[in-house]
Amino acid sequence: MENKIVSPNPHLHSRNSTASLMRDVIIALAPAMLLCVLCYGWSAIMLLALSAGFCVLIEWAIAKWMMRQPSIFCPSAAALTGLLLALNMPPTTPWWTVLIGSIVAIGVAKMSFGGMGQNVFNPAITGRVFLLVSFPQQLTTWDIPRGFISSIDAVSGPTLLMQAKLDGASTVANVDLLKTFILNPGGSMGEISGLALLIGFVYLLCRKVVKPWIPLSIFLTVILVSSIFHLCNPALYTGPVFNLVAGGLILGACFMATDYVTSPMSDWGGVIFGVGLGFIVMMIRYFGSYPEGVSFAILIMNMTVPLIDRAFHRKKYGYGRA
Amino acid sequence: MSKHTFSIGGIHPQDAKFSRGCATEVLPLPPVVYVSMAQHLGAPAVPCVAPGDKVKVGTVIGEPAGFISAYVHSPVSGTVKTVAPRKDMLGNNVMHVEITVEGDEWEETIDRTPDIITEIPTDRNAVLDKIKMAGVVGLGGATFPTHVKLNPAPGSKADCILINGSECEPYLTSDNRIMIERPSEIIIGAAIMQMVLGGCRCVIAIEDNKPEAIASMKAALVDLGYKNMEIAVLKKKYPQGGEKQLIDAVLKRQVRSGALPISVGAVVQNVATALAVYEAVQKNKPLITNTMTITGDLLPVSGQHNYLFRIGMPLSFIAEQAGGVPEYAAKIVSGGPMMGKAVANLDASAVKGTASLLYLSKEATKRKEEGHCIRCAKCADSCPMGLEPFLINRLYKAGDLAGMEKASAQDCIECGCCQYSCPANIPLVDNLRMAKGQVMAEIKNRRNNGK
Repeated sequence: MENKIVSPNPHLHSRNSTASLMRDVIIALAPAMLLCVLCYGWSAIMLLALSAGFCVLIEWAIAKWMMRQPSIFCPSAAALTGLLLALNMPPTTPWWTVLIGSIVAIGVAKMSFGGMGQNVFNPAITGRVFLLVSFPQQLTTWDIPRGFISSIDAVSGPTLLMQAKLDGASTVANVDLLKTFILNPGGSMGEISGLALLIGFVYLLCRKVVKPWIPLSIFLTVILVSSIFHLCNPALYTGPVFNLVAGGLILGACFMATDYVTSPMSDWGGVIFGVGLGFIVMMIRYFGSYPEGVSFAILIMNMTVPLIDRAFHRKKYGYGRA
Repeated sequence: MSKHTFSIGGIHPQDAKFSRGCATEVLPLPPVVYVSMAQHLGAPAVPCVAPGDKVKVGTVIGEPAGFISAYVHSPVSGTVKTVAPRKDMLGNNVMHVEITVEGDEWEETIDRTPDIITEIPTDRNAVLDKIKMAGVVGLGGATFPTHVKLNPAPGSKADCILINGSECEPYLTSDNRIMIERPSEIIIGAAIMQMVLGGCRCVIAIEDNKPEAIASMKAALVDLGYKNMEIAVLKKKYPQGGEKQLIDAVLKRQVRSGALPISVGAVVQNVATALAVYEAVQKNKPLITNTMTITGDLLPVSGQHNYLFRIGMPLSFIAEQAGGVPEYAAKIVSGGPMMGKAVANLDASAVKGTASLLYLSKEATKRKEEGHCIRCAKCADSCPMGLEPFLINRLYKAGDLAGMEKASAQDCIECGCCQYSCPANIPLVDNLRMAKGQVMAEIKNRRNNGK
């Protein structure tokens, strides 16, 4: 009877760990990242590797030397932030921009709040928005580097959302939206294929890593708002399908808005969060000075999470029906 | 028929019922037994024998010491050696009666024939008295005295008795075995309890991972031909066997916070309790035996057993009979791996409610380093009471008693789902148990001051 463990129940634990959940999200991003590599070649590999590497390094350094709490360092979570940051940048982004973005994402948005689980704002989005307002030129240069597949007839030029903003909604009326959804080089890396992102998201749903309520409510709100505006004046306002597939909505809704730390903890809270997010996206796209509003919408809704969590709780057993 | 389960939360741990096919074996008698006086919920029994007294199997050796208490009987024949405190399984000092085993002589009143007596008695009070005198307690885990539960306070009436055969804990298979091997006796026991409660509806609930038990129970029910009784097959989910969860699953009713199941007209009894009631009422046999499982995550099939044991047998003796404690075992659990207790003292003796000796390896049971909450809400999603463990955990650490009560820490059933699911390995159940204790004390305090 010596050397036996005595501790309270439960005596078993699921195989879930923070690292395994983060790994699952990275796996879910794999199809999109693979397409990026195929279409943008070495530039994409460099950007993904640099961004993930910088983020891991910065988190490790801050945890070890500034916070003196090495246990707070979670390499898979930092790598995920780095990959998401890379997917939010155009493939031609110079290395120093990536470094600054990683410092802001990990150092400012995550570690200064206390690290893992403590941050109010999504780190990758914070990094991207910081770069977007500080270095707009580097972040909106849509040159397409040489990829491994040359047959893709990619054209450098403004993104669809930018075109709609500058030249009016009617100029994008004839865009092949199905093709855009399947493969659309140009723009940020993560905008390359809505289909690849959705495949990854289905994997996350099957693994029960995330729940579908936040993305669903975002998509439905975007459809609803853009339908109303589009029906009123199709010449001025782009339509619902266009708004779903263009820009970073799918990436933002499926992978950034669902970030555990910066989204509400209850299902109904998630729905409110998604509705607000979808609405702000459409308002920025229609009336804002930026062509794309997903990042700003996520940051704005991140701020409301503590309030939403206060208002929405789960249905407890034995308090409703008798 | 579509399969039901409870509506809120729950988890699906690996079944691990390796010993499901092992037929129940009867253990030989040890040279000496130590019978605990605290084998039930409530006040410990008071020993009524002295060293030197001769006892037979079934002789009363402990008498109840209050309303919620139970009789304790000698499981063997022999001579009382000592009546003294001794360490129980958890290491607490509890009064024990030590009996040296001499032969195997039973009290004459006990019917030891294998005949199954199907005739249901009709005198409610006589039956309740028999159940009380036989020291029957709930064998589903809580060991609450059965005669108290079957005698609801005036004004409340049961309209359904649920017989709990869900055995939702991983690893455990003793309920499965008795349902396969002794279905008629369980059903007759259920019918007796049904009669005591005034002829209400009776539902026997079994999870769908026990097809043999379901088939055996269904066949026995057809043979006996009871009309007002049915078998409900439930979709496997832990903690289905929790009283409140089972009521939700079968009856679609929820017991209000702080209330008893009888408030929604339900009484829940385990299948093993039904068997004990059958033996007590039809065979005059007190509760001195029960079935337990010997199992483990790395234990070979040859080491897996289901045993019919007698109370008071030292756990170390039982372990020896099964081939000894395996080398790999890092933790020995009595009960299921989700809600069972870690054995701190293997020299302690088996009690009425002992359900298993579960040998867990270090890999299976080791607690991993506590990380930081990532707000994934898996704890809240898995909580069968709809609580938010992450929130209660935070309030507990902040010492916010009012907040903990508002978050219903007092409703926690300590089932372990939250801690099982937590990817950051936060000891949620440890903290929630403390929070619950503080809130319950506060509620009690308030009630006393109010009077």
